[in-house]
Amino acid sequence: MTLEWKEDQPIYRQLRDKVAAQIIKGSIKEGEPLPSVRSVAVDLRINPLTASKAYQELVDEELVEKKRGLGMFVIKGAQLKLLNLEKKKFLEEEWPLVAARISALGIDVKDLIKKSKLN
Amino acid sequence: MTSVIEARNLGKSYGKFNALKNVSFEIPLGRIVGVIGANGAGKTTMLNAILGLTRYDGELKVMGQNPSTNRAKLMEDVCFISDVATLPRWMTVEQVLDYVESVHPKFNMEVALDYLSRTTVPLDKKVRKLSKGMITQTHLAVVMAIDAKLLVLDEPTLGLDIIFRKGFYSSLLEEYFDKKRTIVVTTHQVEEIEHILSDVIFIRDGEINLHETMDDLAERFCQVLVDEEDAERARGFGPISEQKAFGRLNFIYNGVNRKKLKELGDVKMVGLADLFVAIMTGGK
Repeated sequence: MTLEWKEDQPIYRQLRDKVAAQIIKGSIKEGEPLPSVRSVAVDLRINPLTASKAYQELVDEELVEKKRGLGMFVIKGAQLKLLNLEKKKFLEEEWPLVAARISALGIDVKDLIKKSKLN
Repeated sequence: MTSVIEARNLGKSYGKFNALKNVSFEIPLGRIVGVIGANGAGKTTMLNAILGLTRYDGELKVMGQNPSTNRAKLMEDVCFISDVATLPRWMTVEQVLDYVESVHPKFNMEVALDYLSRTTVPLDKKVRKLSKGMITQTHLAVVMAIDAKLLVLDEPTLGLDIIFRKGFYSSLLEEYFDKKRTIVVTTHQVEEIEHILSDVIFIRDGEINLHETMDDLAERFCQVLVDEEDAERARGFGPISEQKAFGRLNFIYNGVNRKKLKELGDVKMVGLADLFVAIMTGGK
């Protein structure tokens, strides 16, 4: 797992998003463990507190659960829950910007659909 | 909260020059603290006082001990790696380990050998034949084998290549650091350590300008890039620094409400290096 940190959000938040993306993609499956806090800290060279804060976010969102002595595990249903969250976020936050850009550039929506079907 | 280091009015002067001007600070257990300052700001003086390597004025307690009178006791739990700390160049690596084993009550030879076996350091070579990176690794092997509670690093990666520097901090996180240990590190390579720190201390002309947790720092400081025509409005919010960037202006703020700043543009976090420059060259 390599990633560049951006300046718009705290690192724990970016790490939370990265793990969430892996759950959506299915590269960490439901019922499977997340990599340990220490190994994430080592791989990304971040403070272990930052890594556990990211995991805590996922626990608070009820996507991941802590099993005593075993680590963090992805909860059943987390993938769908995250997918719905992402969809909602796209429609509410990203789509209006994309739609505005489409109309600003005068792109014909029918053309656009045809193009994306061809690919 | 257990304090590993407690300093009250810690001062040090060389003749008329005040290298440290009565600074007070506390460092709790389980933290990684970066001490950032320009050359001659007083970083090394501060570390030397903590290690009992120099006399000082004021009160100082390290792991509950007085470093100037209880140095031997202190050194059972404290380790130090510095750019200038040298291993005896005429000894082989093996002899260095044997020596440390004979003088240090807490040294564990197995741990040191195990760590070195995963490096390219040859045990039978003399220290003077080793590369700079290998010397640092030998130091690390000793530190890890001593199981120190406090590790003080003074420019530990100076002169090492980037791959080695990354590996150095990974090893610390992987094999050394945990909730029961504390690391104090100084470096000019701020970007390299910024994400592993839990706290930061800025030091300038012998005084502590800023001492915060990284979380609080991220809350307090932010930056906004604005067009020239919005510059006056941006100045109205009282920035601590303003810099030209590609025909636009970048403003850094301390403790200004982000929601209000949002009307100027995208509010972003400030990297430690940029913040250091802003605070050191700007005002308060």
